[in-house]
Amino acid sequence: MKSYLLSPDKLLDFVKELSSDGSLYYPELENGKTHIVGYDVSREFKPNFERIRTAENIKHFFFPSRDTVARFPKDEVIPVRKRYLFGVKNCDLRGIDVYDRVFVGWEPVDPLYKERRDKTIIISADCPEPEDSCFCNLLGLNPYVEGLSDLNFTVVPNGLLFDAFTKKGEAIIEAHKDFFTEAKEEDKKQRAMIRDQAIKKLNTINSRVFKKDLSARVGAADKERIRDARDECVECHACLHGCPTCYCFLLSDYKKGKDIERIRLWDACYYAAYARVGGGANPRSRLDERFWNRFQCKFDFFFKYENMYACSGCGRCLLGCSAKIDIREILWNL
Amino acid sequence: MEPINPYYPIPVKIKKIIPETPNITTFILDGKPIDFEAGQFAELTIPSVGEAPFTPSSSPYDDDLEFTIMKVGRVTDALFDLKEGELVGVRGPFGKPYPLKDFKGKEVFIVGGGVGFAPLRSLFLALLHKIKDYKKIYIRYGARTPKDIVYKHLIPEWQRIDGVDLLLTVDVGDASWQGRVGVVTVILDEIPVDVKTSPTIVCGPPLMMKFTTQKLVEAGFRHESIYLSMEKNMSCGLGKCNHCRVGKFYVCKDGPVLTWKDIKDIEEPFL
Repeated sequence: MKSYLLSPDKLLDFVKELSSDGSLYYPELENGKTHIVGYDVSREFKPNFERIRTAENIKHFFFPSRDTVARFPKDEVIPVRKRYLFGVKNCDLRGIDVYDRVFVGWEPVDPLYKERRDKTIIISADCPEPEDSCFCNLLGLNPYVEGLSDLNFTVVPNGLLFDAFTKKGEAIIEAHKDFFTEAKEEDKKQRAMIRDQAIKKLNTINSRVFKKDLSARVGAADKERIRDARDECVECHACLHGCPTCYCFLLSDYKKGKDIERIRLWDACYYAAYARVGGGANPRSRLDERFWNRFQCKFDFFFKYENMYACSGCGRCLLGCSAKIDIREILWNL
Repeated sequence: MEPINPYYPIPVKIKKIIPETPNITTFILDGKPIDFEAGQFAELTIPSVGEAPFTPSSSPYDDDLEFTIMKVGRVTDALFDLKEGELVGVRGPFGKPYPLKDFKGKEVFIVGGGVGFAPLRSLFLALLHKIKDYKKIYIRYGARTPKDIVYKHLIPEWQRIDGVDLLLTVDVGDASWQGRVGVVTVILDEIPVDVKTSPTIVCGPPLMMKFTTQKLVEAGFRHESIYLSMEKNMSCGLGKCNHCRVGKFYVCKDGPVLTWKDIKDIEEPFL
């Protein structure tokens, strides 16, 4: 594969050009964490591509927490503007991988998700400095991207080293070819070293691996183990709403003038009423059952359904947990 | 062509309302906004209240779409307040139909409880449409009391059809009731079909499903021939919102009818 180098002094101009035909979002460091910010010419461009994924996850761009999905009696389609997500990490791409399967992988296709996905160019970045909360390596992911995004780059000493994974990505390189030079072997060697170091760091952080039959172990967990795992869970739902792969939602109808809007809201399987049916029966009325449902969904069900775990190892769940429950500890101990 | 928005409910008027029992009513819609096959379900929207999943009770071959619905919660409360001529919305069809081609040449054994007879009626009418394709149709239906029997006006007519054997029971009889008394499993003590080859189809409340299934398994029906309607919370109907997941299935997409073989390893699958 041909790789392209963007010298650091051309990054801002490249971003400026991209943002001329769409909104562009990138990570910026603030109080020790990176956050997603929109590119704005009146604001200093200070991206940070070294730190781990942003505090917010990118699912908001494709599957916002509150979304109008239909209008009744007359429906109306709201067009989506072209967008660039610049500097997305591999753990957040796992979320997109899950969403692509759920929302467009089988009929009927979710038209809103598809429109947003089609209109969004994802430019991913390597993750050279994994932190203690990261565990993508335990789920078969690398701290760098080898597909799914349109373009990926690694920050190397000479600049940003790009690979194109899709036709859209190739078209971007082609349309802005004056910014790029062909990458040299030395740059690729640097990239290999950076990646190698990131993997080593992840292997040090997570020296224990999950057992190969994780799916079966989750499925077979007994009640006592589940109760122990649930530990001090206070049902704050941070682990679910912050998760880049959680896709549960609820449809709710609201009056807007004479019309009705159908709203899609994020839901979470820890809510007591989540699975309750109209007649009142509730298959998961106990917290233990709901708590374990999350594990069954991510590591057993999705694995059986799509042959992948619906978890990216991004660590947001354990950092956000009010009870400081570390999902890794539970899975290691199965 | 504009892509169809699967979240959009097609507006349709209520043509006729037929009370069946004190808390169960049949709503006949004005026309047929969606085509379906027996066993598939739809989401019915009550404007500005919300929607809930129901399986049609009419024949897939009818020109109108009917739902027989029990008043149990927020959406159905609002539905029961609507009058003929008022607007509802319909999305669907969702899920997989009964595999009628696999029933050909066989005795078909249908067991219903309470309002669970509604989707079974749709199946029954679909079978009647090509009754010669099937060896015989057996229906065993149980309701709580004589007042809770749905389709009272239609049952005598169905009982007279050649090739149909329909028995009723009620949990508790009253002075007017001359028929059998006892929960539906009581009329399953005698199963007049070849259990090794016949499909059996069950729909009813959770406890009825549990004990009926147990009885049918004991009677020797093959696990893959016991078709069970799963009642789960189904918000989207599209296999996306994840509410209805049970075991390795999205009930709305892979069901709503699953076989005992599919679900027997799940703890309390009918809850």
